[in-house]
Amino acid sequence: MMRRPARLALVLAALVAAPLASCDRTVTPTESLPALAPASADAGAGAWRMFVLASPDQIPVAAPAPATSDAYKAELAAVKAAQAVMTAEQRANVAHWSGGGVLRWNQILRELVARRNLPPAPRADGTYALPDPENPFADPSFPFANPPYAARAYSYVAVAQYEALKAAWHYKYRYNRPRPQDVDAAVQAAAPSGGLPGYPSEDAVLAGVTSEMLRLLFPADVDQVQRAAAAEREAALLSGRATASDAAAGLALGRAVAAVVIARARADGAGAAVGNAAQWRALADSAAARGETPWVSQESPARPPMLPFFGRVQMWTMTAAEGVALEPAAPPSTRSPQFAAEVAEVKRTVQGLTREQLAVALKWNDGAGTYTPPGHWNDIAAEYVRDARMSEVRAARSFALLNMAMHDASVGCWSAKYRHFNPRPSQVDPSIKTSIGLPNFPAYPSGHSTFSAAAAEVLGTLFPAAAPEFVRQADEAGISRMYGGIHYRSDIENGKAHGRRVGEAVVRFARGDGA
Amino acid sequence: MSAPAPVPVRPRAVRSRSARRSAVRPRLAAGLALLGAVAAPAAAQSLDDGLLLPRRTARVGVVQATDRWDHYWEGTRARTNENLGTVATRVTLLHAMYGLTDRVTLGATLPYVRTEATQGVLKGQQGWQDVTVAAKLRVVQARVAGRAALSALAVGAAGAPATDYTPDLLPMSIGLGARRASLRGAVHLADRSGVFVDASAGRAWRSTVRLDRPAYYTDGRLTLSDEVRMPDVADYAVGVGYQDARWCLPLMLVGQRTLGGGDIRRQDMPFVSNRMDFTRLAGTAMYTLPFAPAVQVQAGAARTLAGRNVGRATTLSAGVSLGARL
Repeated sequence: MMRRPARLALVLAALVAAPLASCDRTVTPTESLPALAPASADAGAGAWRMFVLASPDQIPVAAPAPATSDAYKAELAAVKAAQAVMTAEQRANVAHWSGGGVLRWNQILRELVARRNLPPAPRADGTYALPDPENPFADPSFPFANPPYAARAYSYVAVAQYEALKAAWHYKYRYNRPRPQDVDAAVQAAAPSGGLPGYPSEDAVLAGVTSEMLRLLFPADVDQVQRAAAAEREAALLSGRATASDAAAGLALGRAVAAVVIARARADGAGAAVGNAAQWRALADSAAARGETPWVSQESPARPPMLPFFGRVQMWTMTAAEGVALEPAAPPSTRSPQFAAEVAEVKRTVQGLTREQLAVALKWNDGAGTYTPPGHWNDIAAEYVRDARMSEVRAARSFALLNMAMHDASVGCWSAKYRHFNPRPSQVDPSIKTSIGLPNFPAYPSGHSTFSAAAAEVLGTLFPAAAPEFVRQADEAGISRMYGGIHYRSDIENGKAHGRRVGEAVVRFARGDGA
Repeated sequence: MSAPAPVPVRPRAVRSRSARRSAVRPRLAAGLALLGAVAAPAAAQSLDDGLLLPRRTARVGVVQATDRWDHYWEGTRARTNENLGTVATRVTLLHAMYGLTDRVTLGATLPYVRTEATQGVLKGQQGWQDVTVAAKLRVVQARVAGRAALSALAVGAAGAPATDYTPDLLPMSIGLGARRASLRGAVHLADRSGVFVDASAGRAWRSTVRLDRPAYYTDGRLTLSDEVRMPDVADYAVGVGYQDARWCLPLMLVGQRTLGGGDIRRQDMPFVSNRMDFTRLAGTAMYTLPFAPAVQVQAGAARTLAGRNVGRATTLSAGVSLGARL
């Protein structure tokens, strides 16, 4: 018989082990992306309508050496030699990028947004320094990737990728030089060929165009971006999908397309979105002159409003006047009984908040330090794009349309927010406490509602079977803001209606684009 | 992010709340865990110290502790935040201990936690936090120099959230939401003059926790999951004190080191898996009532001296417990 102390020691050990036994402590850190074998090569994508470039051959790409040439055979030999000494790490890198360059870069972009989505800390004198693009590593770092900044960034990256890939498809099928793995049986197919011609390499196009766009948008993360771009190019070679000349032509094409798109970005008005103290005062004065209670920052020390002139930034699918025409009507006056009733509804909701409602508020919080609401919708879209096994160019189109819609929604929403300059619930009733961070800009209309309805409209067109699910999620995102205590019902309902109108405009814009 | 192996594809989604409730989740316990930043309930006769109850005696009680801080460490940078003002955490700790034998004492704790910030718009949270159960086993008993009693104990504890609170609203969350198991060794050397010294060290293993959102950024990377890996925790306590028939007066230096985790970034909110470290000094006075020897009252004070990703807290506590021979 076991002695008593030994038995007790066993009981003790069991007690400690019980809660962790059968407890898997690993976390899967990212979306699982199996090797992409596209449902269609989309051979005609070179003729799909361009959004920024004038034509698919605006950037010239010289004809490659023929597959029968000695020069090309030397390149093939180099691919085989590199494959022969491929390390386990390199093989993992090939597998990683074989999940799809567009999807992988979208993951990286979501990470950069989350990293840079932090407001500047207050200085000792109660003021805030502005992030400086010329000194991105300072405190505060550049950018402050808040929701409008992020919406614009997601859209520029996606549009640039889409333009560059359409051009790449144009040249691929003009020159029709096969991939190394399709021309020489001795080349390993470490990632699927997808039946596409090899020249120029779409992997290298993506590496070139995306790294250039991100150098502009996230300059403090240039190291990570360059490493990723180099890894993608290496994967193109080691996978047997590209030779050195395929990659070189792709990289040059991607960079050249980025230069065209960057020229548009530099002139789109985003640089003037911050404004100055006199302009901020004028916004408040204008609301007061209309007899309304103007929004004030409830941060301490008071923080200047977030990007008050972002509503003037150039949109992708409509003119400024067309954008204004889609904006919602004015909110209920802050002196009206309806406004008082809506304040009371927020207060009731917050005070009776259930655990389920808190979960919804937290799910869609997407506040500081996160990838923002546009990032959340990219996150949602990524799995549909993956499951549809879209070619790279079609995946880029999906993200371009989604993010153009959210950028245009964000411009329209910010224009409306600063036109009305409406206070938050906790400003007019300080007894209303929030379960999530209070955004530092006017309430009406709700940005989440606008982004989400626009995104649901576009995704519902791209993936019709899931359209009701996208609408359900957009509704949940909208109402989450009332659960959080930061928006009235009018903000949410009118924001969603506005977002839907923007989404419909983007769907009309895309109609007949050839895809 | 490293390359994931291509595995069968499933939609990644935040598990619904109802699914989470039905998930297997041992309702055991972790108590003192939390609030590195928050409560450090009393020294002697806690689950952590080197003291045992005599066989077939029990002690139940309640400790009310209030922990306040206006400075906190954002990583290693000490700062204030006018959007929080002073964060107050009020803990009502229920505790029960039972001397199974003269060598084994069993115990359990359950805190009710309320948080509040004096400034800003964030709503405080409240609820039952983690239930913890523990067994203390004396492994060594010896006389030293003919005048002191030395005992050494092994303490095993396990804990789990008692309710479905969210750990995702720090510093307003009432806890960290992890299941937790810990082992510690404790040494208690009591001189016949009444002076004693205590030392203990432990390690806690923590389960992952689930958030209500599908992604989070911490420690330099975005994780596309609602599940958070929690680093394990090491802690130590050393102290001196005096004990006689009426009084027990321990003074302890307590340290916690989280074995991993990221810092709070500049102007970011805290995150559940942050590297929460602190060094605290805690003094307690316990007094057994002469006219009612079963009743012990206690008062305590503690101060966080140094820390990382926690508040520089001052804690005041008071409690009463009732002993009985069964």
